[in-house]
Amino acid sequence: MDFENVKAQMRKGVLEFCILSILSKGDAYASDILNKLKESELIVVEGTLYPLLTRQKNAGLLSYRWEESTQGPPRKYYALTDNGREGLKELEVSWKALIEAVDSIMNK
Amino acid sequence: MKKTFSVNLGNRVFSIDDDAYIRLKEYLDRIESYFSDEKEREDIISDIELRVSELFTERMGLNKQVITLRDVEEVIAIMGDPKEISGTEGQAGGNQSHDSHQRRTGPRRIYRDPDDRMIGGVCGGLAAYLGLDPVIVRILFILFLIFGIGLLVYIILWIVVPEARTTAQKLEMRGDTVNVSNIGNFVKEEFDNVKKSFSRKKK
Repeated sequence: MDFENVKAQMRKGVLEFCILSILSKGDAYASDILNKLKESELIVVEGTLYPLLTRQKNAGLLSYRWEESTQGPPRKYYALTDNGREGLKELEVSWKALIEAVDSIMNK
Repeated sequence: MKKTFSVNLGNRVFSIDDDAYIRLKEYLDRIESYFSDEKEREDIISDIELRVSELFTERMGLNKQVITLRDVEEVIAIMGDPKEISGTEGQAGGNQSHDSHQRRTGPRRIYRDPDDRMIGGVCGGLAAYLGLDPVIVRILFILFLIFGIGLLVYIILWIVVPEARTTAQKLEMRGDTVNVSNIGNFVKEEFDNVKKSFSRKKK
């Protein structure tokens, strides 16, 4: 059995949830989000973030705006939309349910 | 000494070595080929270009003003393999389409092939144009020759069909698009061929 693949799938499953969660604490630009995800070792290569952001944006969960930066060209800041906030609530509920379910199986 | 290009990446200008440019262009093209939806692709590529330009900027300074192949390789390692970036969703469509999609999209032209010639390169050129093995074309020609008209046809084609002299013409002969990355690939193939025949001679 290929455990690396299982682990990768697990990370991927929670990645979208974590992006929404990071943005719920405040607007951020892609590199901020990347740093947080890298700190918690949820992301291995940076490139995987961008398709997810674009898809969430196209699904109406995120919006973005350009902001001037002191260190170079303007940055693209992402923010949660109302839809995104609702989606996040739903995911939080099912995440807690999932943890409880896994815990109860492991501790039996 | 190396030639450099000047590129605009995420609204910043970089000087980049020619080999580094070819590598980066090929990388971005490959990512692009994994996303079929046009709107989505544009957004993703522009975000990725923006990030690559940030990573390049971090590497630049007073003592370093040119992006080298090594910088590009490092950045690619950070950004990840195009397949990984696209995730599994895009893989089914992306994987198959992407090789044939990248090359073989230009219009084909007929030329005489100076690298694959017995007499005038007519058969070699025809074979490249039709995508056939030159041996098959030559055998067909010899059959024609036996029936009488082959020689005349050969001489007419020899006169009429131009020889592929430049790399761009050689790519057109094979139906490859003439762009920098294909020219790069082609030059590399040629170089490898020369290297191979050289080492063979040495033995």
